[in-house]
Amino acid sequence: MDKKVLIAIVIVAVIVVGVVAAAFVFRQSPEGGIVQYITVAPMNMKASLTNGDVDAYIAWEPYVSDSVVGGVGEVLMWSSEIMPNHPCCVVAVRNDFANGPNGQDLTRRFVKAHVEATEWMLDALGHKDGANYSLLVDMAVQFTTRNATVVEAAFEHVVYGYSMGSSFKSSLEEFTEMYIDSNLTTDDKLSSRGYSSIENFVDSYVNTSYLDSLSSVAPSDAILNPSSPIELGFLAGDLHQMAQVVAQNKAANDGSKSMFEKYGLKVENATGAPFASGGYEMTAFAAGNVDIGYLGAPPAILQHLNSGVGITIISQANSEGSGLVVKVGSGIDSLRDLENKTVATPGESSIQFLLLKIALEREGMSLEIRT
Amino acid sequence: MDKLVGAIWKLLRSNWLRILLGCASLAVFIAVWWLYSAYLHAEWPFSGRTPSSTAEYLPNPLQVLSAFFDSFAHRDPVSHLFMTSHIYASMKRIFFGFVLAFALAVPVGLLMGRSRNAEAFGKPIVEIFRPIPPLAWVPIFLIALKLFWGPIAIVFLGIFFPILLNVTFGAKSVDPVLLDAAKTLGAKKSHQFFKVVLPFTLPYLMTGVKVGLGIGWMCIVAAEMLGAVGGGVGYYIYNMAFQPAYFDRMYAGMLVIGLLSVLTTGVAGVIERRLYRWMGMK
Repeated sequence: MDKKVLIAIVIVAVIVVGVVAAAFVFRQSPEGGIVQYITVAPMNMKASLTNGDVDAYIAWEPYVSDSVVGGVGEVLMWSSEIMPNHPCCVVAVRNDFANGPNGQDLTRRFVKAHVEATEWMLDALGHKDGANYSLLVDMAVQFTTRNATVVEAAFEHVVYGYSMGSSFKSSLEEFTEMYIDSNLTTDDKLSSRGYSSIENFVDSYVNTSYLDSLSSVAPSDAILNPSSPIELGFLAGDLHQMAQVVAQNKAANDGSKSMFEKYGLKVENATGAPFASGGYEMTAFAAGNVDIGYLGAPPAILQHLNSGVGITIISQANSEGSGLVVKVGSGIDSLRDLENKTVATPGESSIQFLLLKIALEREGMSLEIRT
Repeated sequence: MDKLVGAIWKLLRSNWLRILLGCASLAVFIAVWWLYSAYLHAEWPFSGRTPSSTAEYLPNPLQVLSAFFDSFAHRDPVSHLFMTSHIYASMKRIFFGFVLAFALAVPVGLLMGRSRNAEAFGKPIVEIFRPIPPLAWVPIFLIALKLFWGPIAIVFLGIFFPILLNVTFGAKSVDPVLLDAAKTLGAKKSHQFFKVVLPFTLPYLMTGVKVGLGIGWMCIVAAEMLGAVGGGVGYYIYNMAFQPAYFDRMYAGMLVIGLLSVLTTGVAGVIERRLYRWMGMK
């Protein structure tokens, strides 16, 4: 009897050890290594890096330069090194607004002002000794609540632009494909929204007709929508979305009118704006609180497909402008060194998360949530 | 086994009306939910109208139920974890938050209930900090207390005050006649405390525990909203809503919290009854 019990115990012990060992072996990824991630709001990332919660983070400007100028972090990799010219923030319009009274005209005028503001910025950034440059830096300091050194460093890595060419579209297709691969959206959702393929979706979701017909837009002396201003959505302190700050600033135009006003538009910040994330802004779009908004392309794609938020992308706002930051003196010199380290990301659906995943997968490494 | 079946049968027979009423309230709720969802989606019996733009935000109960089971059967699309991992992570936070809150609130509450000076000293702080929503502390706690203790501290706040207030009130309202009787019978200070004050406070304490656990669960989304390690049910709910906008999964997460709260409150109730019996109170 005793012997039987002993044998039973031995067998159980062997099985348990075997299972644990197998689990351990399967956890170790055979090729490459695992990088762990957690979700942290970008404004808290510098603090998390400083207090040692994370070894690195990936975020948009100015949260990259914030750590670099502060002497806390150094940039391991700019997003342009991972994916040159990758799209980032876009301008989107709520379909019910665009199809409503005067919607087409108001939207076209908005895009015109957006393009003019973007060109003004490009010109200002090209002449660092000019008055416009210091005006732009002043505006950015106010908008981001970061100091001038941080803002100027950040401007170096953001590419402003509005046109939506074929590379823009193919990048969006790539992102959508990655989302489908990771189940953040599905082929079923795509077809249930009436899209036959990813290309078909991006083609109809990106509407270049406003950009193409800008030559027909003339300045207007009168405000066309005095009683129903355009409700503008944008993210808190996001340097990528400076165009709307410039277009609202009178000094950037002729001093008496802003660029929006020049084209006859009354624009006001939507209820809830500035938003903390693109996800919130999409919810506000769905609620009808935002008419036209600046936000990252990924939430715009995801929530449109998954919950049918009816918006259309009408212009690009910027490309590039994100960075992977590691702690100064951490000894992390390459992506490989990130193995078993923790990286903070703004969330699994963010463009920064996708870029990090792309970069790690090229090294044969994978990204997993820290448990 | 027979004994168990017998006990259940007895419970059913003596409480059938209340059990029926409980089921009826759930049935009414689910029916209203289903009807409203059908109305928004323009499904039967509202096939005639055009679907509302907000329809996507209210899936029907069946979809939520299938998302609920799916979250246990498959890894979720955002964090690639099973619901069991989320539950484990959240339970851990509730557990630590509860243990800390209990260990601090009970002695402080007894002290404040029994000593007027202690109450005068503690009350201003309690009254100022009590109404501050735990959500307001999220960024500070996360940075100051870091990723492990930060979320726990938020849950702690939710559980701490209900226990503290109930214990204070219970200790304060001990019938002076009982204390006098104990004194007359020659009870020492320590006996007065352990035989009179503590048993008298116990029902209040347990009410505080049950209310506190409920509020602890209410804080879990706030606690896990930013920078939760290893997921959590709150993290699941928050991210399902704001990242891919999978609302059926979001509601499934809410259902999980509801069930977990029923479970923890139920356990507290069982402990309460055991305690009463053990202390000879019933």
